[in-house]
Amino acid sequence: MQGNTACAEGALAAGCRFFGGYPITPSTEVAEHMALKLPKTGGVFIQMEDEIASIAAVIGASWTGVRAMTATSGPGFSLMMENLGFAVITETPCVVVNIQRGGPSTGQPTMAAQGDMLQCRFGSHGDYSVIALSPASVQEMYDLTAEAFNLSDRFRVPVFVMADEIIGHMREKLVVPDTVPRQERKLLKKGDLPFRAGDDLVPGFPTFGKGYSVHVTGLTHDERGYPCATSPSVHEDLVNRLVDKVESARDAISSADIVNPDARVVFISYGAPSRAVQQVLHDTSRDDIGHLRLKLVWPFAESLLSRFPDAETFIVPELNLGQMAREIQRHTDRTVIPVPKLGGALHNPSDLAGLLEEVA
Amino acid sequence: MTYADWFREDRLPHIYCVGCGNGTVINCTLSAVDQMGWEKEETVFVSGIGCSSRAPGYIVTDSLHTTHGRAIAFATGIKMANPDLRVIVFTGDGDLAAIGGNHFIHACRRNIDLTVVCMNNMIYGMTGGQGSPTTPPGALSTTTPYGSGEAAFDLCGLAAAAGANYVARYTSYHVKELTRAVRGGLENPGFSFIEALVQCPTNYGRRNKFRQVMDQIEYFKSHALLVQKADRMREEGKKIPDDMIIIGILARRNRPALGVRK
Amino acid sequence: MRLVIDERRCKGCNLCTLVCPYRIFRPGTTANRRGVIVPELDRPERCANCRLQRLYGRTLCGVCQMICPDQAISWEEEGACEPVKVAIEY
Repeated sequence: MQGNTACAEGALAAGCRFFGGYPITPSTEVAEHMALKLPKTGGVFIQMEDEIASIAAVIGASWTGVRAMTATSGPGFSLMMENLGFAVITETPCVVVNIQRGGPSTGQPTMAAQGDMLQCRFGSHGDYSVIALSPASVQEMYDLTAEAFNLSDRFRVPVFVMADEIIGHMREKLVVPDTVPRQERKLLKKGDLPFRAGDDLVPGFPTFGKGYSVHVTGLTHDERGYPCATSPSVHEDLVNRLVDKVESARDAISSADIVNPDARVVFISYGAPSRAVQQVLHDTSRDDIGHLRLKLVWPFAESLLSRFPDAETFIVPELNLGQMAREIQRHTDRTVIPVPKLGGALHNPSDLAGLLEEVA
Repeated sequence: MTYADWFREDRLPHIYCVGCGNGTVINCTLSAVDQMGWEKEETVFVSGIGCSSRAPGYIVTDSLHTTHGRAIAFATGIKMANPDLRVIVFTGDGDLAAIGGNHFIHACRRNIDLTVVCMNNMIYGMTGGQGSPTTPPGALSTTTPYGSGEAAFDLCGLAAAAGANYVARYTSYHVKELTRAVRGGLENPGFSFIEALVQCPTNYGRRNKFRQVMDQIEYFKSHALLVQKADRMREEGKKIPDDMIIIGILARRNRPALGVRK
Repeated sequence: MRLVIDERRCKGCNLCTLVCPYRIFRPGTTANRRGVIVPELDRPERCANCRLQRLYGRTLCGVCQMICPDQAISWEEEGACEPVKVAIEY
């Protein structure tokens, strides 16, 4: 099965019942498959007039209590940024699949890239925190998309599935599980203030149409949900909570594959470059090479680095100019070597092996 | 129950300036909603950004105050995901016709079952009185200090041409008629668009020879021309002055609608 | 029923003085504690809605209430009062 189709199937298995989208290469197959399958499951597919409207419709649908998603690529992702900030401040669960392509601008529509990794984390204005997953196989397109809905409902944040054109258009064997784990949205208790959170920092969800009479606004709001845009303390408390609810859970939700924790040289990768690294590890006869493959990229859990106590060097191959390498460097005093790659082609395993010989 | 029961009493008085027509349009809309006998639980108000868009915050139902221009797109998602909800959109001229113009015409084309009430004050009020797509030619604003040199949008004509099922225009002076028009929109399946011209004494009126709140209301009163009368005048070959405001139900039809309650 | 203007809400735009067919509102003269010059009532017994809405069971005119942008006009129950002679103007 193709990666994009697996993504759509994973969403359907997770109970996604609303898809608002706009055609954009290389993500269209997700929308096409949803258009085919959603009506048969009682869901709604709607093709909106642009990506701004797509994410808007997804957020609107999410407030009626359904699991909703959209899929896009670079240019569309840029258009969504404002409304993603709206989803953050209103704490709306939604899943956005970004099948990354070469940028900036129209760039390389049919070629892979990982250039939106910082955009998905910081692209909208203001301070906030989100969750981003990065699949490296067709199987993970299915599994991680399904997981994205659980994370989104649990933390009430937009969750990004940051795939790339290679994974999206790759065909591999997919094992469809009988059921996918499902964690439902915590609903607001009647009588509670709609934006007052408990210890988990995530307030219950006041679904529209259930008599909560909740006012949801993109303005800074107090715990009643009423606009309160000029009080410094209300804004500070709100933004701190929005960030902390995700960041405080970063070790708990971190998800990565760890190979050879005793290694001296460790590759760190996510998405398509992981496959080149796997090939290097497969081909090499050395036993001091490790691999940290991030499945959950944001929030970046720096504790993962300490799982390699003997590591002297981290090598980070990415299909960009070192976006995550910068984040990794921030958390360690060991050597971090970014291996940037632009243009759409994957790292050649022999190049990575050659680099390995130079480093150690 | 009366329309007054729909207000979020703890948030009143609202932030609108002295004499702002938006409050009047909220009264008329809520009165129409109340006449329909709808439950608060099944009614959702959606809005974008601007003076008009603060309205849902004063209404005690579920409400979504969204980003600039995107209210109709958010409302589309709500309505499609749960057609049992009654979705009403409050918007302004800048919100609807400038930044949200694309969402507006596509919602008309889809003929999705929403009621959109546009408070057209012919200016960007919240940001301090800049020219909008409906600022009449020659009118002064902070960004058209020598008079607007652009033609203004005919929002109702746009909605009707794009396929909306129900289109009406009134002003904040015509409270009874406006209430009836909104009610007509709520009853009519498909996309209903009600344009309510409102006075903005703070930012439009004081720059355009309506120094008092009442001056602009008097203007609405004297320059309103019922559509039936305008049609008759055209038939008789009489010229309708350019500054007349054509009011009334401008379109009512029964094209297939999307997202209608099952 | 008695018409009341909620001074906490009224912002003094005087639109009610413009639309009332009985002319029971007139612009006020003195500012209240909030600095708002609230309109005054001029012989409100002339208002048909005030006198007859109870009898008819519905709002008879109510234009002032509808146009009031600040939701400041409402009617409340009257207590027992002295009968007053009403001069009907034609």
